[in-house]
Amino acid sequence: MNTMLKDLVSELIGMFVAEKQLTLTVLALVALTGLLVDVAGLDELVGGAILLFGSLTLLVASVCRAARAGGS
Amino acid sequence: MGSWSAIATAVTAAFLASMVEAVEAFTIVLAAATLRGWRPAALGTTAGLGLLAGIVLLLGPLLDRVPIHLLQLTIGILLLLFGMGWLRKAALRAAGVIPLHDEEAIFSAEAAELDEQACRRQKSLHWVAGITALKAVLLEGLEVVFIVIAVGAGRGLLIPASLGALAACAAVLAVGAVVHRPLSRVPENMLKFGVGIMLSAFGVFWTGEGLGVAWPGQDLALLLFAALFLGAGLISSVFARKLSVEFA
Repeated sequence: MNTMLKDLVSELIGMFVAEKQLTLTVLALVALTGLLVDVAGLDELVGGAILLFGSLTLLVASVCRAARAGGS
Repeated sequence: MGSWSAIATAVTAAFLASMVEAVEAFTIVLAAATLRGWRPAALGTTAGLGLLAGIVLLLGPLLDRVPIHLLQLTIGILLLLFGMGWLRKAALRAAGVIPLHDEEAIFSAEAAELDEQACRRQKSLHWVAGITALKAVLLEGLEVVFIVIAVGAGRGLLIPASLGALAACAAVLAVGAVVHRPLSRVPENMLKFGVGIMLSAFGVFWTGEGLGVAWPGQDLALLLFAALFLGAGLISSVFARKLSVEFA
């Protein structure tokens, strides 16, 4: 039963943490967008564009980083 | 209820994602059934489905109590992480950087592992087969439950998304019952690529809405986001192929 619970927890974490650096940078991007919109008063649509194009850039960067490292 | 574009995207995402997960769960349940017959595998599967139903019944009503913006933001961020994770892996597999998912190999490995476990722990093979089936259904099913909630909850689309997921599970079960072997011909990576695109698009859309962004074109913006993630996925796959050759 313990093993199953452990597997369950690691499966849940693994669902959202495919690669630590990608997870952290996506979270940082969302936090930055939130700060820019809510605190700095940036136009919401500009904030949305930062979120969208930031996510696309992070994806490409993460795939390239993994390819350079041989797939890790 | 959302617009037709949102409904179609939610149902398609739930259907395709559930198909990927159902194929993975089916391979393990089949390995358990091959080892010890269908009875323990079916019992384990039923217990797994029961536990999943319990989780849905427990969590479902709680979602109604969460303020919609907070729900959209939380689910949006989780979808973004989950979808981009799938898209990243699919792009790396398409580029040949990491190996493709091989259901036949997983089936053989799982059958050998079950055999070894039964000997090592000196437990009944029935018990080991049943627990293995339960675990597979529960673990893969959790992802299905998350995807259904994630693509459905923010827009009152839980029922269409659930139907999409159920249809995928029924399709996999029907085909699996006929062929009686791992469903290795399902283009798993292409499905994962497609689902990663849709979930990432939903993720950006809802995270943005949660932060107060009113997307131009409303739900239609999802299609633009999906097209952009498709482009980014394809480009990153091409880059990855070149880089893996350079750095090999």
